[in-house]
Amino acid sequence: MVIFNEIKKHPLNYLILGVIFIAAIISFFFFRQSFDTHDQRRVVYVTAALYLFWSLYHHYRRGDLQFSIIIEYLLLALFAVLVAVTTLI
Amino acid sequence: MAKFISLLFIPQEKNNHRALLLQPSFLGIFIALYLLNQSIIQSLTVLKPGVLGYSSEITVSKVLSQTNNEREKLGLSDLKYNDTLSQSAAAKAQDMFANNYWAHNSPQGKTPWDFFKSAGYQYSIAGENLAKDFYDTDGLIKAWMNSPTHRDNIVNTKYQEIGIAVVNGVLNGVKTTLVVQHFAAPLNAPAIAKTQPVAPNPEVVTAPELNTSTQSLGAASAVTPSLISPLLISKIIGSLIFALIITVLTIDSYITLTNHTPRLTGSSASHIGFLLIILMLLIFGRGGAIF
Repeated sequence: MVIFNEIKKHPLNYLILGVIFIAAIISFFFFRQSFDTHDQRRVVYVTAALYLFWSLYHHYRRGDLQFSIIIEYLLLALFAVLVAVTTLI
Repeated sequence: MAKFISLLFIPQEKNNHRALLLQPSFLGIFIALYLLNQSIIQSLTVLKPGVLGYSSEITVSKVLSQTNNEREKLGLSDLKYNDTLSQSAAAKAQDMFANNYWAHNSPQGKTPWDFFKSAGYQYSIAGENLAKDFYDTDGLIKAWMNSPTHRDNIVNTKYQEIGIAVVNGVLNGVKTTLVVQHFAAPLNAPAIAKTQPVAPNPEVVTAPELNTSTQSLGAASAVTPSLISPLLISKIIGSLIFALIITVLTIDSYITLTNHTPRLTGSSASHIGFLLIILMLLIFGRGGAIF
């Protein structure tokens, strides 16, 4: 599988991403227990921000950090935050 | 038409080896569409407050029985339903809708105790729990039990009676369901012997005869109760767009990875992971607020 070759090429990058995703899931379910919608929303904000930072790091390390790529990540993160703001009330 | 659809979903030379739906311009369109949907929902909620609204299955009898279930788990005696306390709780909910606030004390300086007194209930000790935007009683009681201060009210050994109001209305322009619990021990009532707790026995617990219908106040009272929540609509539309992007990303990454297509784009695999996480948070997110 080509995706595994990609992970093998940049193991640290994907390890960091995995940690971000796992931390997001754990913290979300932690705040979900207390029905704290503010903190549930904050989990989405922080995950989106960390994902953006990760993308900068990842593409910088790969040597293909381009403006169009940053915009792509920015729009995805923005959309995620927008949906969270409007639905987790 | 078929060619355009193929360009939307399948990476090929004509779309620069990236499905059109994944290109920044289309991601921008998704955001614009979602914002448009939000503005339509907000406008409908404000201009036609019966078209969309929050619906819940919470009833007074369910709140009473589940509150007493929580007390029974700790071996405490049941709280007796009191009509005067329920009038006090309903007046509090009505006041929050009328004056558009969400707090124990009103902007006019009214405290919860003023509502007890206005209803004609003389208490030696009293307490108040508030909640809004919950869909079911289970979630509501769990939220209160997870909050130390609200839990203290529910399992307080000094309280003997309870009044409950479940009221629909419009708060800050959004139709919602407010739940108010008023706890108290009547003045000059004999103290409960703390050393003689009632043994937990859910089978013999019977709720008193109650008016379990939810009251409606405010602008929404004159219209047929609606069953569609604006939050649910936003959640469904947001989730559908996420699901569409995830599907296209999967097709896109499969084709480009198997063809070893060189291109300058974001990592589709990480996008899929990120969107799946956000989708999961959306699906499992729990609404509702307590005070």
